[in-house]
Amino acid sequence: MLLDAVIIILRETLEAGVLVSLLLTIAHRFHLGARWLLFALATGLVGAGVYAASLATVSTWFDDVGQEVINAAMQYGIYLSLLAISLLISLVATAKRRYLGGFLMLTVVLAVVREGAEITVFFTGYLQNEDVLSRALTGGFVGLMLGLSAGALCYYVIVSLSPTMERRIQHVMLALMAAGMVGQATQLLIQADWLPSTMPLWDTGGWLSERSVAGEIAYAIFGYEATPTPVEVGFYSVALALIPLSVLLCRHFGFNARQEV
Amino acid sequence: MKPRSRCGLVLLLCVMSSGLLAETPVVRIDIRDHLFYPAEVLVPANTKVKLLVTNLDPTPEEFESYELNREKVILGNSRAIIFIGPLAPGEYPFFGEFNMSTAQGTVIAK
Repeated sequence: MLLDAVIIILRETLEAGVLVSLLLTIAHRFHLGARWLLFALATGLVGAGVYAASLATVSTWFDDVGQEVINAAMQYGIYLSLLAISLLISLVATAKRRYLGGFLMLTVVLAVVREGAEITVFFTGYLQNEDVLSRALTGGFVGLMLGLSAGALCYYVIVSLSPTMERRIQHVMLALMAAGMVGQATQLLIQADWLPSTMPLWDTGGWLSERSVAGEIAYAIFGYEATPTPVEVGFYSVALALIPLSVLLCRHFGFNARQEV
Repeated sequence: MKPRSRCGLVLLLCVMSSGLLAETPVVRIDIRDHLFYPAEVLVPANTKVKLLVTNLDPTPEEFESYELNREKVILGNSRAIIFIGPLAPGEYPFFGEFNMSTAQGTVIAK
Protein backbone atom coordinates (compact mmCIF):
# COMPACT_ATOMS: atom_id res chain seq x y z
CA MET A 1 0.00 0.00 0.00
CA LEU A 2 2.79 2.37 0.97
CA LEU A 3 4.70 1.70 -2.25
CA ASP A 4 1.52 1.84 -4.38
CA ALA A 5 0.80 5.32 -2.98
CA VAL A 6 4.40 6.49 -3.53
CA ILE A 7 4.30 5.39 -7.19
CA ILE A 8 0.80 6.73 -7.94
CA ILE A 9 1.44 10.17 -6.46
CA LEU A 10 4.92 10.38 -7.98
CA ARG A 11 3.60 9.53 -11.45
CA GLU A 12 0.81 12.08 -11.18
CA THR A 13 2.99 14.84 -9.75
CA LEU A 14 6.06 14.30 -11.94
CA GLU A 15 4.42 15.65 -15.09
CA ALA A 16 2.61 18.45 -13.24
CA GLY A 17 5.83 19.25 -11.31
CA VAL A 18 7.90 19.64 -14.47
CA LEU A 19 5.14 21.70 -16.14
CA VAL A 20 4.72 24.03 -13.15
CA SER A 21 8.49 24.49 -12.80
CA LEU A 22 8.73 25.42 -16.48
CA LEU A 23 5.93 27.98 -16.04
CA LEU A 24 7.66 29.32 -12.91
CA THR A 25 10.84 29.95 -14.90
CA ILE A 26 8.75 31.97 -17.38
CA ALA A 27 7.10 33.89 -14.52
CA HIS A 28 10.59 34.52 -13.12
CA ARG A 29 11.85 35.89 -16.45
CA PHE A 30 8.86 38.24 -16.74
CA HIS A 31 8.97 39.30 -13.07
CA LEU A 32 5.49 37.95 -12.32
CA GLY A 33 6.32 36.71 -8.84
CA ALA A 34 4.77 33.56 -7.36
CA ARG A 35 1.44 34.77 -5.99
CA TRP A 36 -0.33 33.69 -9.18
CA LEU A 37 0.86 30.13 -8.51
CA LEU A 38 -0.63 30.01 -5.00
CA PHE A 39 -3.96 31.28 -6.35
CA ALA A 40 -3.87 28.76 -9.23
CA LEU A 41 -2.95 25.84 -6.94
CA ALA A 42 -5.75 26.71 -4.51
CA THR A 43 -8.31 27.03 -7.33
CA GLY A 44 -7.02 23.81 -8.92
CA LEU A 45 -7.30 21.86 -5.65
CA VAL A 46 -10.89 23.03 -5.10
CA GLY A 47 -11.64 22.10 -8.73
CA ALA A 48 -10.02 18.67 -8.25
CA GLY A 49 -12.22 18.04 -5.20
CA VAL A 50 -15.37 19.05 -7.08
CA TYR A 51 -14.39 16.94 -10.11
CA ALA A 52 -13.59 13.90 -7.94
CA ALA A 53 -16.93 14.28 -6.13
CA SER A 54 -18.78 14.48 -9.47
CA LEU A 55 -16.85 11.67 -11.15
CA ALA A 56 -19.68 9.16 -10.72
CA THR A 57 -22.02 11.45 -12.69
CA VAL A 58 -19.40 12.58 -15.22
CA SER A 59 -18.48 8.95 -15.97
CA THR A 60 -22.01 8.23 -17.20
CA TRP A 61 -22.03 11.12 -19.71
CA PHE A 62 -21.75 10.44 -23.46
CA ASP A 63 -22.69 6.74 -23.11
CA ASP A 64 -20.27 6.04 -20.25
CA VAL A 65 -17.20 7.73 -21.72
CA GLY A 66 -17.66 11.11 -19.99
CA GLN A 67 -14.45 10.69 -18.02
CA GLU A 68 -12.38 10.34 -21.21
CA VAL A 69 -14.13 13.25 -22.95
CA ILE A 70 -13.81 15.70 -20.03
CA ASN A 71 -10.18 14.74 -19.34
CA ALA A 72 -9.35 15.10 -23.04
CA ALA A 73 -11.07 18.51 -23.13
CA MET A 74 -8.94 19.65 -20.17
CA GLN A 75 -5.76 18.47 -21.89
CA TYR A 76 -6.64 20.14 -25.19
CA GLY A 77 -7.31 23.24 -23.03
CA ILE A 78 -3.80 23.00 -21.54
CA TYR A 79 -2.41 22.76 -25.09
CA LEU A 80 -4.21 25.95 -26.19
CA SER A 81 -3.09 27.74 -23.06
CA LEU A 82 0.56 26.69 -23.63
CA LEU A 83 0.25 27.84 -27.27
CA ALA A 84 -0.92 31.25 -26.02
CA ILE A 85 2.01 31.39 -23.55
CA SER A 86 4.46 30.56 -26.38
CA LEU A 87 3.04 33.41 -28.48
CA LEU A 88 2.99 35.89 -25.59
CA ILE A 89 6.58 35.28 -24.50
CA SER A 90 7.79 35.51 -28.11
CA LEU A 91 5.91 38.49 -29.38
CA VAL A 92 4.33 40.66 -26.80
CA ALA A 93 5.68 43.68 -25.05
CA THR A 94 5.93 43.80 -21.27
CA ALA A 95 2.68 45.76 -21.06
CA LYS A 96 0.77 42.54 -21.85
CA ARG A 97 2.18 40.69 -18.85
CA ARG A 98 -1.23 40.35 -17.23
CA TYR A 99 -2.40 38.15 -20.12
CA LEU A 100 0.66 35.97 -19.62
CA GLY A 101 -0.16 35.67 -15.93
CA GLY A 102 -3.71 34.67 -16.83
CA PHE A 103 -2.62 31.85 -19.12
CA LEU A 104 -0.01 30.62 -16.62
CA MET A 105 -2.79 30.37 -14.03
CA LEU A 106 -5.21 28.67 -16.42
CA THR A 107 -2.60 26.02 -17.29
CA VAL A 108 -1.87 25.23 -13.63
CA VAL A 109 -5.57 25.13 -12.68
CA LEU A 110 -6.35 22.64 -15.50
CA ALA A 111 -3.30 20.47 -14.72
CA VAL A 112 -4.10 20.35 -11.00
CA VAL A 113 -7.79 19.54 -11.57
CA ARG A 114 -6.85 16.73 -13.99
CA GLU A 115 -4.16 15.09 -11.83
CA GLY A 116 -5.56 16.07 -8.44
CA ALA A 117 -8.96 14.48 -9.03
CA GLU A 118 -7.38 11.06 -9.58
CA ILE A 119 -5.29 11.38 -6.40
CA THR A 120 -8.40 12.46 -4.47
CA VAL A 121 -10.36 9.43 -5.71
CA PHE A 122 -7.46 7.16 -4.73
CA PHE A 123 -7.42 8.46 -1.14
CA THR A 124 -11.19 8.58 -0.70
CA GLY A 125 -11.20 4.80 -1.25
CA TYR A 126 -9.49 4.43 2.13
CA LEU A 127 -11.51 6.88 4.21
CA GLN A 128 -13.23 4.02 6.05
CA ASN A 129 -9.96 2.44 7.12
CA GLU A 130 -7.88 4.88 9.17
CA ASP A 131 -4.84 2.63 9.45
CA VAL A 132 -4.58 2.05 5.70
CA LEU A 133 -5.40 5.71 4.98
CA SER A 134 -2.55 6.96 7.19
CA ARG A 135 -0.10 4.60 5.46
CA ALA A 136 -1.41 5.69 2.06
CA LEU A 137 -1.06 9.36 3.02
CA THR A 138 2.51 8.75 4.22
CA GLY A 139 3.34 7.05 0.91
CA GLY A 140 1.57 9.84 -0.96
CA PHE A 141 3.61 12.46 0.90
CA VAL A 142 6.86 10.70 -0.10
CA GLY A 143 5.66 10.56 -3.72
CA LEU A 144 4.67 14.23 -3.65
CA MET A 145 8.08 15.25 -2.27
CA LEU A 146 9.87 13.24 -4.97
CA GLY A 147 7.69 14.86 -7.68
CA LEU A 148 8.29 18.34 -6.23
CA SER A 149 12.05 17.67 -6.03
CA ALA A 150 12.10 16.77 -9.72
CA GLY A 151 10.22 20.01 -10.47
CA ALA A 152 12.59 22.07 -8.28
CA LEU A 153 15.62 20.52 -9.98
CA CYS A 154 14.14 21.34 -13.38
CA TYR A 155 13.46 24.95 -12.27
CA TYR A 156 16.96 25.61 -10.95
CA VAL A 157 18.63 24.01 -13.98
CA ILE A 158 16.63 26.27 -16.34
CA VAL A 159 17.10 29.54 -14.41
CA SER A 160 20.83 28.90 -14.05
CA LEU A 161 21.30 28.88 -17.85
CA SER A 162 22.36 31.88 -19.89
CA PRO A 163 19.40 34.12 -20.91
CA THR A 164 19.54 32.98 -24.55
CA MET A 165 19.72 29.32 -23.63
CA GLU A 166 16.96 29.78 -21.03
CA ARG A 167 14.63 31.23 -23.69
CA ARG A 168 15.40 28.41 -26.11
CA ILE A 169 14.81 25.70 -23.52
CA GLN A 170 11.53 27.35 -22.48
CA HIS A 171 10.30 27.43 -26.09
CA VAL A 172 11.31 23.84 -26.81
CA MET A 173 9.86 22.48 -23.56
CA LEU A 174 6.60 24.43 -23.97
CA ALA A 175 6.15 22.95 -27.45
CA LEU A 176 7.03 19.39 -26.38
CA MET A 177 4.85 19.41 -23.26
CA ALA A 178 1.97 20.98 -25.20
CA ALA A 179 2.22 18.31 -27.92
CA GLY A 180 2.39 15.64 -25.21
CA MET A 181 -0.95 16.91 -23.85
CA VAL A 182 -2.50 16.56 -27.31
CA GLY A 183 -1.07 13.03 -27.62
CA GLN A 184 -2.62 11.99 -24.29
CA ALA A 185 -5.96 13.65 -25.05
CA THR A 186 -6.13 12.00 -28.46
CA GLN A 187 -5.47 8.62 -26.90
CA LEU A 188 -8.36 9.21 -24.48
CA LEU A 189 -10.72 9.96 -27.38
CA ILE A 190 -9.56 6.75 -29.10
CA GLN A 191 -10.26 4.88 -25.83
CA ALA A 192 -13.75 6.43 -25.85
CA ASP A 193 -14.23 5.31 -29.49
CA TRP A 194 -14.70 8.95 -30.57
CA LEU A 195 -11.62 8.72 -32.82
CA PRO A 196 -10.74 5.69 -34.97
CA SER A 197 -8.57 3.02 -33.42
CA THR A 198 -6.07 1.19 -35.58
CA MET A 199 -2.89 -0.85 -35.21
CA PRO A 200 0.10 1.12 -33.85
CA LEU A 201 2.43 2.71 -36.40
CA TRP A 202 5.53 1.48 -34.58
CA ASP A 203 6.70 -0.09 -31.32
CA THR A 204 9.69 1.48 -29.58
CA GLY A 205 8.94 -0.39 -26.32
CA GLY A 206 12.06 -2.56 -26.73
CA TRP A 207 14.23 0.53 -27.04
CA LEU A 208 12.59 2.66 -24.33
CA SER A 209 10.00 0.93 -22.14
CA GLU A 210 7.14 3.09 -20.84
CA ARG A 211 7.51 1.25 -17.52
CA SER A 212 11.14 2.36 -17.03
CA VAL A 213 12.13 5.48 -15.11
CA ALA A 214 13.49 7.02 -18.34
CA GLY A 215 10.18 6.13 -20.07
CA GLU A 216 8.17 7.84 -17.30
CA ILE A 217 10.36 10.96 -17.54
CA ALA A 218 10.02 10.98 -21.35
CA TYR A 219 6.24 10.67 -20.86
CA ALA A 220 6.26 13.61 -18.43
CA ILE A 221 8.31 15.82 -20.76
CA PHE A 222 6.99 15.08 -24.24
CA GLY A 223 4.19 12.54 -23.78
CA TYR A 224 6.30 9.55 -24.86
CA GLU A 225 4.20 6.68 -26.17
CA ALA A 226 5.85 3.41 -27.32
CA THR A 227 3.02 2.24 -29.57
CA PRO A 228 1.15 5.24 -31.04
CA THR A 229 -1.56 4.83 -33.66
CA PRO A 230 -1.54 6.91 -36.88
CA VAL A 231 -4.25 9.26 -35.52
CA GLU A 232 -2.17 10.02 -32.42
CA VAL A 233 0.99 10.60 -34.47
CA GLY A 234 -0.97 12.91 -36.80
CA PHE A 235 -2.54 14.99 -34.00
CA TYR A 236 0.77 15.11 -32.11
CA SER A 237 2.76 16.26 -35.16
CA VAL A 238 0.27 18.97 -36.09
CA ALA A 239 0.10 20.18 -32.48
CA LEU A 240 3.90 20.29 -32.24
CA ALA A 241 4.39 22.05 -35.58
CA LEU A 242 1.63 24.58 -34.89
CA ILE A 243 3.52 26.26 -32.03
CA PRO A 244 6.67 27.45 -33.89
CA LEU A 245 4.55 28.05 -37.01
CA SER A 246 2.14 30.37 -35.15
CA VAL A 247 5.08 32.28 -33.66
CA LEU A 248 6.68 32.67 -37.12
CA LEU A 249 3.38 33.67 -38.75
CA CYS A 250 2.65 36.30 -36.09
CA ARG A 251 6.15 37.72 -36.50
CA HIS A 252 5.71 37.75 -40.27
CA PHE A 253 2.45 39.69 -40.02
CA GLY A 254 3.96 42.39 -37.86
CA PHE A 255 3.12 41.42 -34.31
CA ASN A 256 6.77 41.62 -33.43
CA ALA A 257 6.47 44.04 -30.54
CA ARG A 258 8.73 42.04 -28.31
CA GLN A 259 10.75 43.98 -25.79
CA GLU A 260 13.62 42.60 -23.82
CA VAL A 261 12.71 42.23 -20.17
CA MET B 1 -19.96 5.06 -64.98
CA LYS B 2 -17.46 2.47 -66.20
CA PRO B 3 -18.15 -1.13 -65.17
CA ARG B 4 -14.86 -1.22 -63.30
CA SER B 5 -15.63 1.83 -61.17
CA ARG B 6 -19.19 0.54 -60.59
CA CYS B 7 -17.67 -2.68 -59.29
CA GLY B 8 -15.44 -0.63 -57.01
CA LEU B 9 -18.44 1.33 -55.71
CA VAL B 10 -20.37 -1.87 -54.89
CA LEU B 11 -17.31 -3.24 -53.11
CA LEU B 12 -16.92 0.00 -51.13
CA LEU B 13 -20.60 -0.07 -50.12
CA CYS B 14 -20.27 -3.72 -49.03
CA VAL B 15 -17.22 -2.91 -46.89
CA MET B 16 -18.97 0.12 -45.38
CA SER B 17 -22.18 -1.75 -44.59
CA SER B 18 -20.30 -4.72 -43.14
CA GLY B 19 -18.43 -2.23 -40.94
CA LEU B 20 -21.70 -0.69 -39.80
CA LEU B 21 -23.39 -4.02 -39.22
CA ALA B 22 -20.47 -5.70 -37.45
CA GLU B 23 -21.08 -5.46 -33.72
CA THR B 24 -18.08 -4.65 -31.54
CA PRO B 25 -17.49 -7.75 -29.39
CA VAL B 26 -18.10 -7.13 -25.67
CA VAL B 27 -15.84 -8.76 -23.08
CA ARG B 28 -16.70 -8.62 -19.38
CA ILE B 29 -14.18 -8.28 -16.53
CA ASP B 30 -15.05 -8.10 -12.83
CA ILE B 31 -12.99 -6.57 -10.04
CA ARG B 32 -13.50 -8.33 -6.73
CA ASP B 33 -11.28 -8.12 -3.60
CA HIS B 34 -8.74 -6.13 -5.67
CA LEU B 35 -8.40 -8.98 -8.19
CA PHE B 36 -9.48 -9.20 -11.83
CA TYR B 37 -11.89 -12.00 -12.87
CA PRO B 38 -10.90 -13.44 -15.27
CA ALA B 39 -7.24 -12.53 -14.92
CA GLU B 40 -6.64 -13.82 -18.45
CA VAL B 41 -8.98 -12.17 -20.92
CA LEU B 42 -9.27 -13.73 -24.38
CA VAL B 43 -10.13 -11.34 -27.23
CA PRO B 44 -10.15 -11.78 -31.01
CA ALA B 45 -6.99 -10.43 -32.68
CA ASN B 46 -7.18 -7.54 -35.18
CA THR B 47 -10.61 -6.51 -33.89
CA LYS B 48 -11.79 -3.59 -31.78
CA VAL B 49 -13.23 -4.88 -28.49
CA LYS B 50 -15.43 -3.22 -25.87
CA LEU B 51 -14.34 -4.11 -22.32
CA LEU B 52 -17.13 -3.89 -19.76
CA VAL B 53 -15.34 -3.67 -16.42
CA THR B 54 -17.46 -3.97 -13.28
CA ASN B 55 -15.92 -2.98 -9.97
CA LEU B 56 -17.68 -5.03 -7.28
CA ASP B 57 -15.44 -3.64 -4.52
CA PRO B 58 -16.61 -0.61 -2.52
CA THR B 59 -13.24 1.08 -3.20
CA PRO B 60 -12.22 2.76 -6.47
CA GLU B 61 -9.76 1.21 -8.92
CA GLU B 62 -7.90 2.44 -11.95
CA PHE B 63 -7.70 0.12 -14.95
CA GLU B 64 -4.33 0.77 -16.55
CA SER B 65 -2.13 -0.79 -19.20
CA TYR B 66 1.04 0.49 -20.83
CA GLU B 67 0.75 -2.09 -23.62
CA LEU B 68 -2.90 -1.32 -24.39
CA ASN B 69 -2.41 2.44 -23.86
CA ARG B 70 -5.42 2.59 -21.60
CA GLU B 71 -6.19 4.32 -18.29
CA LYS B 72 -9.55 4.76 -16.59
CA VAL B 73 -10.77 5.28 -13.04
CA ILE B 74 -13.62 2.95 -12.05
CA LEU B 75 -15.37 4.02 -8.86
CA GLY B 76 -16.50 1.50 -6.22
CA ASN B 77 -19.62 -0.53 -7.10
CA SER B 78 -19.78 0.82 -10.63
CA ARG B 79 -18.91 -0.20 -14.16
CA ALA B 80 -16.92 1.30 -16.99
CA ILE B 81 -16.58 0.88 -20.72
CA ILE B 82 -13.10 0.81 -22.26
CA PHE B 83 -12.52 0.25 -25.98
CA ILE B 84 -9.30 -1.61 -26.84
CA GLY B 85 -7.65 -2.81 -30.03
CA PRO B 86 -7.47 -3.78 -32.83
CA LEU B 87 -4.59 -5.81 -31.38
CA ALA B 88 -1.97 -7.94 -33.11
CA PRO B 89 -1.91 -11.51 -31.71
CA GLY B 90 -0.04 -11.47 -28.41
CA GLU B 91 -0.26 -10.80 -24.68
CA TYR B 92 -1.00 -7.38 -23.20
CA PRO B 93 -0.65 -7.00 -19.40
CA PHE B 94 -2.98 -4.68 -17.49
CA PHE B 95 -3.24 -3.78 -13.80
CA GLY B 96 -5.26 -1.93 -11.20
CA GLU B 97 -3.12 1.09 -10.40
CA PHE B 98 -4.70 1.61 -6.98
CA ASN B 99 -3.88 -1.98 -5.94
CA MET B 100 -0.88 -2.90 -8.05
CA SER B 101 0.33 -5.71 -5.79
CA THR B 102 -2.78 -7.84 -6.39
CA ALA B 103 -4.80 -6.49 -9.32
CA GLN B 104 -2.96 -7.90 -12.33
CA GLY B 105 -4.29 -9.36 -15.56
CA THR B 106 -3.47 -10.06 -19.20
CA VAL B 107 -5.42 -9.56 -22.39
CA ILE B 108 -4.60 -12.37 -24.82
CA ALA B 109 -5.37 -11.54 -28.46
CA LYS B 110 -5.76 -14.64 -30.66
